[in-house]
Amino acid sequence: MGSSLQEALHRVLAMEGVRTVALIDIASGMVVRSAGEQDASFPAAAASVADEARAARGALGPGRPAGGLDEMVAVTQSRLHLAKILRDQPGEGFLLFVDMDRARANAALASLHVGQLASAVLA
Amino acid sequence: MRSWGPADGPVGPLAAALADCAVAGFTGALAVIGAPGGTVYLTDGGITAIETPWSPSAEVILLHSGRVLESDWETAFAAATVARGHMGAELVGRGLVGAGELEALLRIALADAMFAFAAGFVDHCRTEAGPPEHALPLEPALPLEPAAEADLLLSEALRRIQALAAFPEPPLRPRERVAAVRGAVRPGVILGGGRDEVLALADGRRTTRDLAFALGRGLYVTMLQLARMRAEGLIVPVAPVMPPGSGDEEPAGGTGASETTAGLPRRQKDRPLEPPRPANLASRSLPVALRLLRPRSEDTPRL
Repeated sequence: MGSSLQEALHRVLAMEGVRTVALIDIASGMVVRSAGEQDASFPAAAASVADEARAARGALGPGRPAGGLDEMVAVTQSRLHLAKILRDQPGEGFLLFVDMDRARANAALASLHVGQLASAVLA
Repeated sequence: MRSWGPADGPVGPLAAALADCAVAGFTGALAVIGAPGGTVYLTDGGITAIETPWSPSAEVILLHSGRVLESDWETAFAAATVARGHMGAELVGRGLVGAGELEALLRIALADAMFAFAAGFVDHCRTEAGPPEHALPLEPALPLEPAAEADLLLSEALRRIQALAAFPEPPLRPRERVAAVRGAVRPGVILGGGRDEVLALADGRRTTRDLAFALGRGLYVTMLQLARMRAEGLIVPVAPVMPPGSGDEEPAGGTGASETTAGLPRRQKDRPLEPPRPANLASRSLPVALRLLRPRSEDTPRL
């Protein structure tokens, strides 16, 4: 622990079913800080999530008439991946990436709780 | 004082120096000699700040990106100086930036500086023991607390090199000049994704590194964006122009040699000296000065 950023990540990690939580810089794909389980391939996976966020933003079209990208969810047979967009400046902003056990998490509730905790990450 | 000599790997002897500093719990400055060169500040073996002329500091990123207004920065700086406090605490205390966001930006800036070392070359390193000078609150400007682990920064630098090496064309080097391709974008068309800002500044005189500083973005992020834009046909590298009589022009009937008659790499204005290829090394004995031009390990993608 030792920093407000790490403490905020640990609060997300304490949620039911959360395996890993990480703050990712969208522009570079760098894992800035993380907590929980992660293997050696996690930095590469995090960079891919950042690429997906950039692609999703691009798909919103000029002027983003539907608003900016707020959240991305990916569901696999056993996992629930939730990526919450944080502040846009500087650069392209940050992602709060949360990896959860699908059997122990509810997507809607997870989105709600992560949204409530996300504001403390960069504060 | 301890020093580390030339070694293989993307950051030469810097990896061993940082590992030794971590084991010893070293506090002080680690001078990095090479191109770009710089200084790594450590506390109890962890990295708290890095200064290098190729990557923008967190201060540059905060100001040039518009995240913090210059007037607010100057007010905070004055207050921190008077109180002999820390600039980071002053920025957070005034609500100019969140503590978590500042830590994130500082970690990203450290990773970018480490990448700059990897994008250039490191010849040797030496420690200068003792705590950093804190007569001014910004020396080093914004130290990271808690310190970053060198291993994480080094592995991130390697990941970045590999990401750039995946593009079909070699990435533009930090000191390479960049120009927008004329007619590639119709007037009035907005590309988005930060590309318009790059095109507005890519005038053929600014280098990759210059663009990073002007935009308040990291060196790696700028190189990554330029690689994407080059693939889209939006920008091109610009060959350096040698002024007549500079002694650097190609000799008549020259073969395009990149070396002088003395066997030294030919200097190109505003471009880093290119380490000689191993094939050239094998055919001649090296003067001591050429150690500064030592090639990096061949198993690492070259930038």
